[in-house]
This record gives sequence, structure tokens and C-alpha cells, in this order.
Amino acid sequence: MGKKHLALLLLLAAAFSAGAINLSLAQIDASRLLVSQTVDLYLSVTGQDGRPLRGLPVEAFRVSESTDGRQFHEVRDLGAFTPAAGAAEGITFLLLMDNSGSMYDSVRGGATRDPALMRVNHAKEAVRSFLTRMSGPGDRVGLAAYNTFYRGLVRPGQDRERVAGALEGITRPQPEEAYTELYASLTLAVREFAGARGRKALIVLSDGENYPYAEHFGKPHPEFRARSYPHTEPIRACLEEGITVYAINFGPRQDRNLRSIALETGGQVFEAVDRGELSAVYRRIHEQVAAEYRLTYRAGMQPAERKYVRVRVGQAGSEAEATRFYFSTTVFGLPLAALSWLLAVPFVLAALGVWLATRLRLESRRGPARLEVLHTRVGSASTRALPLGSAKTVIGGSRKADLTIAGAPGVQGEHATVLFDPKTRSYTIVGGGDITVNNRPVKSRRLEAGDVIDVGGATIVFDDGEV
Amino acid sequence: MSTLARRLILAALGILAGAAVWPAAELVLYFQARFASYLPFLGVLGAVTGALLGAVFGSAEGISSRVKTRIPAGMLLGALVGCVGGAVGLLAGQAALWLVGEAALRSYRSFRTVVLPASRAVGWAVLGLFVGVGEGARAGSLKKAAVGMLGGVVGGLAGGLVLEYAGLLFPRLAFPRLIGFLILGLAIGVFYGLVERGLSHGVLRLLAGPLKGKEFLLNQRRLGIGASRRNEIALPAYEGLADRQALIRIRRGEVTLVNLEPRVAVLVNERQVQEARLKYGDVLAIGPAKLFFKYE
Repeated sequence: MGKKHLALLLLLAAAFSAGAINLSLAQIDASRLLVSQTVDLYLSVTGQDGRPLRGLPVEAFRVSESTDGRQFHEVRDLGAFTPAAGAAEGITFLLLMDNSGSMYDSVRGGATRDPALMRVNHAKEAVRSFLTRMSGPGDRVGLAAYNTFYRGLVRPGQDRERVAGALEGITRPQPEEAYTELYASLTLAVREFAGARGRKALIVLSDGENYPYAEHFGKPHPEFRARSYPHTEPIRACLEEGITVYAINFGPRQDRNLRSIALETGGQVFEAVDRGELSAVYRRIHEQVAAEYRLTYRAGMQPAERKYVRVRVGQAGSEAEATRFYFSTTVFGLPLAALSWLLAVPFVLAALGVWLATRLRLESRRGPARLEVLHTRVGSASTRALPLGSAKTVIGGSRKADLTIAGAPGVQGEHATVLFDPKTRSYTIVGGGDITVNNRPVKSRRLEAGDVIDVGGATIVFDDGEV
Repeated sequence: MSTLARRLILAALGILAGAAVWPAAELVLYFQARFASYLPFLGVLGAVTGALLGAVFGSAEGISSRVKTRIPAGMLLGALVGCVGGAVGLLAGQAALWLVGEAALRSYRSFRTVVLPASRAVGWAVLGLFVGVGEGARAGSLKKAAVGMLGGVVGGLAGGLVLEYAGLLFPRLAFPRLIGFLILGLAIGVFYGLVERGLSHGVLRLLAGPLKGKEFLLNQRRLGIGASRRNEIALPAYEGLADRQALIRIRRGEVTLVNLEPRVAVLVNERQVQEARLKYGDVLAIGPAKLFFKYE
């Protein structure tokens, strides 16, 4: 360890002893787990004043993993470590603005007609300031607004002027549009991050509670229909996509679940009352995210629906720690809880089945002489196989025929007759119409096993029953 | 055995293969934590799965041709080819994942629900390809190998998708993976049978004697006919035939019958021939064996 690191650790130890440091596990990116067996952690370390604590060495961090959140195993295989990863690689921000009816009230509360006093214009001003201050060359920013409806205005990108222009498109909603679908909008906003990699932050500005249309207007929502969005929905969506929610309360009323949405996704909650405070909050969020450390570690192979990661920073007795989880199932899912001998049953049954298949007696058996219809070019036969029991068997188009070939214009009522001679125990076919045997035209012919008879397009095989 | 019966046997063997694979796969999954990473884990899982699928399907030709000596050899070769194919297959699925690379990693949800299962289904298709190609390798027939490849790929892809999505599709079922493996095996069996039939140049059906009713698909360039069990059309119970009595040759879609041992007469539509181009509907007599050439 170099002198510089030692000095920093001493500084850190001093800061811890004053109880002045916070650690937040802002984002876990497990999307490379199955490809490279690695997980990326984005760690935010801040001092008492909320300012990022920069310059910590990798030795200051310890990472543990658990399948149940109780028993943790320390990870020895720490990989790449990138201080100020957000500043180096760029951050994807989505600014989600409240555009419900109350945003057109005064920042002090109550109705106003003066645009300069309206919350919405203070918010727009703060966003413009945020856009101006965004200095990271790789930073991307997008804009969305919500009330009764969620509206994605600009997908995250590097064109900040487009975002500034879209701000002007946010106008006062009609009465039916003035509800606050906060949870639904947070959930839908997640899709704006499609295609974004690295650090992803959703900054939601809210001036009140979740106030769903269907619940308060008494009709199904025009877009969501019967679907309801509990506050757990955006939490799950953000965790799956590795998005952190930073919530800004900008008004007298606060949503009771917004704090938990922010904290569970690795973010924070901020308060602001006017454009000055709001600008400062946006600035602080950007500064904090840009200063995060990215720590990559090699994950274990223990199967679990979710894996808990605990990170500690500092020294024994004066540590800060943060724990979060990521989803770690493979598509195969979890293994069985225990192996049982019963598992052998399908294997044994399969082996038995294959063995039985090898024992199948597929040879033909001796039976009565018969005619078997292989195929009819025109029409259809009354049966596929006809035993030749009687002395005389008629093949023809007539219903009275023993073997009827229906729907074939070339077949006469009694087209051919098969006669049995009990003395020679042989069969002879006699044609009333044109017939062939083994593709040879005949009028009359003694049949042999396997002879192929054609009667007006019907292919019939004579089977003498012997094998 | 008719071609329908052969297809049914292939489908049944597919289900049996799925049933055999499931406990073996569960065993590998149970020891997931012992593996260093997902790569060797997937390799072993694929090898075990492929070996069992290959072994069961390797028995198909021996069963349907009623030449029992072909069964153990077919199973062994099937297991070997399947083992390699399984490992290569699932790693190919992983490679497909790398190929889609950046796009695949952008959204964890879509990665987990679309990209990962789809790319691994590609892996199952490769496994199916190897399972299908086994019989072609045994018979030394490129055409048969191609039939197996296509049948295996389509079946592996269809069944693999069901297998990969089994947990998502049937979350309430007690053993969704068992259902998935049964469907994977069934799909490989069914598609192998369908492709085999679709790409064949016709069928020879025995009309008389102990094997009457049995049908032989003309799905490779050369098929031997004779008393020896080494022939593709083995007729040991038909007296008087030479070990290799005749040959069916397929070239540019034309099917030709050649008599290799003139001491036994070969007839086409009751005319003695030395060599004859066949057309559908022809009746062949090779010594005491009578066959009907048909299209199916």
C-alpha cells in the first residue's frame, strides 16, 4: 500500500470515528453475470455534508455475498476498481417531471395566475440549470412528464437543447389529465433506459401523492385499463434494470412510499421549496453520481433467486456498510431442494421403455387373405382392409360391392371380382372394367402374394395371409 | 413398419429421451455451486444432456429396421456425438450470446426473458443438430446426416425454446424442467421424422413375406438391398437373396434400381431388368421380396 493510500485510510478512519461517513450501494449491474461471471457495484461514499468522499483506494472496501441475507461470505476476488466511474463513463439521466394540476399552484401553496410563482416554472428553470451544468462528455439526459398519463418526451441522449425545447411543450393539463399516476409513471419510465449501459439514474420530481385516475375518478384508466400499479412495481422494475431513483419532494404534500422507492433502488430523497433549492438538489445528485466508485467482483456460483451483496468501507470498529440484492436466477431456475432416489424413476422408466422398444415384435403374423387399399387417386374406399372370406368378392363403385370405391367416375358398379377356388385354395381376379395387376393390363389373373391391383385409380394389394 | 409407425417411434423415443435427461440434468444443476463459473457448468450440462439424447435416438434406426445388432452401436455413437454436440451446443448458445453482445446486455429484464433463452435455444438447436447427425455418421451418408441436421436443428430450436421458457410458462407446475425436457425430446423426434419424410425420394413398401407392410425411406444416395443385415434394406428372412443383391441409387432426383447378382431375377412391373429407372407406382420383385415404390 502506498503512502498516499495510507494517508487516505488514516483520513477515512478519522472521518469514521467522527461518525461522518455514509455509504450507499447505488446500483448493482449483474447483466454480465452469465457472460463473464462478474457483477459491477456502484458505490457512493459521502461525508457529513453530503459531499462525495473522493480518492478512496480499493483496499478500503470489502465485499461479501449471501444467498439468504444472513450468512455472508467475503469475496476475495475483487476485480476492476474505477473511482469517479460516472464522470469517466458518463451517466444516463431521465428527468421525470410532475405535470399534475397542483404543479400550477404557487410554490408557497394555493392557486395563482402568476406564471413566475407557479411550481412548474420553478421546476423548468431548475432543469434548465441542470442541463447547463451537465459537463460530462458521456452524460446522456432524457425528459418525461406525468399526470393522469405518462409521456416520454425525449429519450436519453446527448442533445441537451432538445430536452430544453421539450420543456416548453409541458403545458397545463385538462381537468381529467390532472391526476397523479406516480407509481405507474415511474414503472413506465424504466423503458426509456432501453439501450443504456452503465450508470442509470431516474430523477423524479413530485409535488404530491400518488393519486390514481381509476381510484378517484371512478372509471377505468384510458390507457392502463384495469391494471393497477402498487409502489412495489417501480421498485422491482428499477432493480431489474439497475436504475437508481432519486426523488425530489417539491411541494407541501409528500407521497408516503416515494422514500422507500428511492432508498430500495439505492437512491435518496431530497426536499426543495423553490427554484434555487431545486437547482442545488439537481446539482448535488449529479455530483454525487459522477463521483461514485465502480467496483467489479467475481460472483459465486451458489444458486439463489436473489443474491445479497454487502459492502463495507473503513476499518473494524468504524465502518459504514450497505446491503442490497440483485436477481441471480438463470433461466433454468433453481435446483431442487434435495436430491431424491425418486429422481431415478423417470430414468429407469425411460431405460425400460427403450428396452421394450428393442423387443417390439414388428414382424407380420399369419392371418386371413385380404385386400389392402394403399391409395386412391380419385374418390375414396369403403375400407382400408377387406378380409377375403367369401367365395366371391366384388370391387366397384356400387354400394352393394364388398369393397366400394366411391366418387371415382372410371369405376363401374361391379368393376372387378375376386374369386376363391377352394380346390386349389387360390384367388383369381376377373375384370369387368379395365384393371391392371403389377401395372400390366389383365382381364383375368390368378393372384399371388403382394400383387398390386389398380382399379380405376385405387391401388390395392393382395395379401394371401401367409408370412 | 410403416413410415407413420417409424415417426411415432421417433416421437416416443424423444419423450423417453426427455425423461432420461431430466434426472441427469437435475443432478448437474444440484451441484451448480461446485463449478467455477457458468461456462464449465453449461458445458457439462450440455454434454450430459446431449449424450443421453444421442444414445436414445441412436437406438431408433436399429429398432425401426429390426436389426438389433445396430442398436448398441447406434446408442454408443449417438452418445458420443451427442456428448460433443451437447457441450458444443450450449457453448454455441453462449457464443450466440456474445455475438449479440452489447445489445443483449442493455436491459436485464429483456436479457433474462428474451436474449438469454433465445440464445440458449440456439444452443439446443446445435445439440439437436449433433443428435440428428449421429445416424448419418453411422450410415456414412451425407444426405442422411443433412436430414438429421435439419430435423435436429428445427426440433432442438422448438423444444429448446419451450425448455428455456418452461419455468416462465408454467411457474405453478411442480417440475417445469421435466415438462421442458419431455417437449425438447419430443420436438427433436417429431421434426426429425417430418424432415426425414419431407426430404426423402420416396418409400419402398414390402408387399409380401415376413416383413410385409414395412416401409423404407429412400433418404440417402445409395441403399443396399439383400440378405445381409448391413444393408439399408435388410431382408434376411427372404430366401435365395445374395448378401447384397441389389442397389438403389439416387442421383439428381432419379431413383435407379441395379441388380448386383444376376443369378436372382430382379423384375420391375414383371419385366426382368439389370438396371432400371424407377417411377412412383412401380412394383419391384427382388427374388421372393415384392416391393411397391411410392411417394410419401
